[in-house]
Amino acid sequence: MSDQPTAAAKPAAVIDDVRSIIAKSLNISVDRLTPETHLDELGAESLDVIEIVFALEEKFDITIPLKADEATRLATSDKSGGQEVPFSTVGDVAEIVEKLVAAKTPKAAQ
Amino acid sequence: MNRVVVTGIGVVSPVGNTREEFWSSLVEARSGIGPITRIPTERLNIRIAAEVRDFDPVQHFDSKRLGVMDRFSQFAVVAARAAIKDAQLDITDEIALGAATIIGNGAGGMNTIDDAFLRIYGQNIARTHPLTIPRLMANAASSLISMDLGLKGPTFTIASACASGTHAIGQAFQMVRTGQAQVALAGGSEACITVGTMKGWESLRVLSADTCRPFSRNRSGLVLGEGAAIFVLEPRERAVSRGAAIYGEIKGFGMSADAGDITAIDPDGAARAISAALADAKVNPDEMNYVNAHGTATALNDKGETIALRKAFGDSADQLAVSSTKAVLGHSLGAAGALEFAATALALRHQIIPPTANFQEPDPDCDLDYVPNTARNAPLEVAMSSSFAFGGLNAVLVLGRA
Repeated sequence: MSDQPTAAAKPAAVIDDVRSIIAKSLNISVDRLTPETHLDELGAESLDVIEIVFALEEKFDITIPLKADEATRLATSDKSGGQEVPFSTVGDVAEIVEKLVAAKTPKAAQ
Repeated sequence: MNRVVVTGIGVVSPVGNTREEFWSSLVEARSGIGPITRIPTERLNIRIAAEVRDFDPVQHFDSKRLGVMDRFSQFAVVAARAAIKDAQLDITDEIALGAATIIGNGAGGMNTIDDAFLRIYGQNIARTHPLTIPRLMANAASSLISMDLGLKGPTFTIASACASGTHAIGQAFQMVRTGQAQVALAGGSEACITVGTMKGWESLRVLSADTCRPFSRNRSGLVLGEGAAIFVLEPRERAVSRGAAIYGEIKGFGMSADAGDITAIDPDGAARAISAALADAKVNPDEMNYVNAHGTATALNDKGETIALRKAFGDSADQLAVSSTKAVLGHSLGAAGALEFAATALALRHQIIPPTANFQEPDPDCDLDYVPNTARNAPLEVAMSSSFAFGGLNAVLVLGRA
């Protein structure tokens, strides 16, 4: 799901913001973060993920439906379908953010 | 060393403000969880809680006294009065001087803080209520109980988040046991269902949007509650000589700190507190009949607590009846341990195990007997009430049949 073509197709701005937010939260160099990097490889624990999600919500003015219990599995559920979507790589996170940003655009235009 | 017994129980809870209503709701698995009614919910994503209902402070306090009382103090004083009445204890001048008041509280006067900050930041009003500070202080409940009942011995508040009530009862138990106090009023109180607090809990992402299902595989998180439970603890000798009705004897108390994660339970730390309580009580693992679990209905807690019980009880864990009353009471933080201790004491008195309500699906990671949905008659000699708090602070009380 986080294969190369999808990741490459992301607008640069979102993935860059996601990378810098994760880097800042985990106190690591942004250079270590590619779309394929797994959050748990970086030592991200449940509370780290919650802080990252909070920063993303603030930055993009979105609501990411993720529970702390799920953060430990590094997965979140898709609000529409109720099925779990992965929340394990930097690319996954960027994809979720993009979806949520796209979903709110029509509302903002009204 | 005195043997210490419980002779009075007072409760203010989401399922009733008398001991009788409280107990029948627990036994019948009637949950107090429902839509939030006391605060505006339009800005909340989570709109359920276990609120105390039918509580009118004006029926209990005059307007002058109410001016200094946050909701958590109101609960505490009403429960303390009920406990003293239940114990039929005459507070003589001599007893008053040796009477300790030790109350657990996690958050302080959150309704007062919320109201004050709404005025300052939200409504741009220049000043707050003049009694904002004495209302919100964490020791307000302990102080107001001491004032209300004229108790003049050691009095203070214990704050250890979700273990506050259990730590407070444990501390009071030790003081009566060693003779530092002749009698103690002890328990916990909490009232922090406010917009500000709810937003904070929402951000932590541990709240359920539907209900609380402890130890059930389809759990969805915890539900906040509120309330108070206060107990009269006194030396067994005096209780017997004055012919008091005894709920049970506090046999032991154990504590530990995880020194690890700020929110996640550590099964080793929890198991150390349980083992310390058993050792203090001189109770063998195979003698324990009933465990009132912390059972918050987060995956981390329920699985971690199950591991902790297996560690502390070994092979005897399979003989234990374990239930979480949070499906009925919600999680009232600093009051939770006290309300659950009340459930434990009443279980011993009535020889009935209150069930884990809302239990729908067994979880392979939670493989103990959780007494699902239906109360159980059982011969109970020894029971335990446990609290494992944020901050990695653990407290466990062991209670024996009267």
